[in-house]
Amino acid sequence: MGRAYTDIDFASYNRQAKRVSELLARLGYLENREIFVVTEGTRAIFENGSSRFHLDVFYERLDFCHVIPWNGRLEADEPTIPLAEMLLEKMQIVQINEKDVIDTIMLLLEHPLGTEDRETINIDRVASLCGSDWGLWRTVTMNLDKVLHLAQGYPQLEPENKARVAEQVQLARARLEAEPKSMGWRLRARVGDRVKWYKDVDEVH
Amino acid sequence: MTTLVRDLMRRGLVTCAKETRLGEAAALLTQHRVHALVVVDEAGMPTGLLSDFDLLAGEWLSADAESLAAMRRMTAGELMSSPLNTVDGSQPIRAAAELMRSQGFHRLIVSEGGALAGVISMSDFVAHLAAQEPLERATVGDVMSSVVLVCREETPALEVARGLTDSRFRSVVVLDFAGRLQGVISGRDLLACVDGQDCAAMTAGQIMHPASTIQRTATLRQAAQQMIEHHLHRLVVVEADLSHGLPLGIISTYDIVNEMARPGSVWRSSAP
Repeated sequence: MGRAYTDIDFASYNRQAKRVSELLARLGYLENREIFVVTEGTRAIFENGSSRFHLDVFYERLDFCHVIPWNGRLEADEPTIPLAEMLLEKMQIVQINEKDVIDTIMLLLEHPLGTEDRETINIDRVASLCGSDWGLWRTVTMNLDKVLHLAQGYPQLEPENKARVAEQVQLARARLEAEPKSMGWRLRARVGDRVKWYKDVDEVH
Repeated sequence: MTTLVRDLMRRGLVTCAKETRLGEAAALLTQHRVHALVVVDEAGMPTGLLSDFDLLAGEWLSADAESLAAMRRMTAGELMSSPLNTVDGSQPIRAAAELMRSQGFHRLIVSEGGALAGVISMSDFVAHLAAQEPLERATVGDVMSSVVLVCREETPALEVARGLTDSRFRSVVVLDFAGRLQGVISGRDLLACVDGQDCAAMTAGQIMHPASTIQRTATLRQAAQQMIEHHLHRLVVVEADLSHGLPLGIISTYDIVNEMARPGSVWRSSAP
């Protein structure tokens, strides 16, 4: 693929933070403790002194434009986070870039939507999180529409691939719409875009 | 004899125009001692309902100056829920209670002869039960109600209904023999009795729901957020390290709206 990897993101639970630090220390990584303290134990950054390789560990949740809680979900698949969370990781970015759009297109082409994990994108999990958080729903649906639109313009994609992406996005959108919404969701929806519905990424770093 | 909705309803509607700002709406709620306003259009036609719960969005979403300004610009017509949830005055109260329970409504607008005539809410049902024989800005601590109505787990449900009506309180905190917090009873819990269950044999411990607690030092925004996220109308205020101890007070949607309505509050000020 021609990509030079300089960092890896890991997900873990807070209760495992000490063991993660000890393991990475044995592998030659030094922790920036300030990050762990400033983020109240939700994130840790490690660097390898010789290779300059950089590791991010996200404890309990991914907390960028929106919060994606792990909540026992790390056991649903391995060795990566489940595909549903992988989709949400991309779709929660308000200022999404082309690389993330392409990653999402590949994810939708490679994996069907379903109600389980492993090789399936558990769309029930995505719908559940979006059904209780209007802000997340707003960003995810906005980005799904972007993916649908941009995919149709890539000459590298065969017509059947473009059709497959469109079908997957429409299925996901329909499932998100069908999910029952909480009272807070409905109240927040009435306020809509008048009030900012996401965090600026700079605020959380 | 079957009791009908029109026998329990409160006649008349408190209305506001669609253009009414949230601070003004909060003032109307407290002035008329009601929990919701019917929002009318330019022709005076009802178009939606704005409740004290909806107004919590003001505190909940005002995380910074920009958001506060946006929320202060919002109007009743933009924040209201619609369409109106209505019931005909000729319906039995049991049908109205079932509708409220199943749909999670706190009140219904009553129509008579095709025109809107009044409101029936949970407090009307509670009063009805009680009559039966014989069965950063401010913090939470600043605006909570420090006087709390309490009862023991074994208190009969009908006594709870009577106590709520006599005292004009909207909730009862349930304690165990040692004064430890066990739960809360509100009008919604008592709806089960209206809806056919044998209230005479039931106790407070059987009908209460778990109490959601908050510390007195929490901000109103945190209280509003907790209420909205968990769809609660009141929180029990407790000491930081004594979440099951004797409560310090109760904070309700009404307390927060009352603070918003206070002359001089950020919601009533004319400053941009």
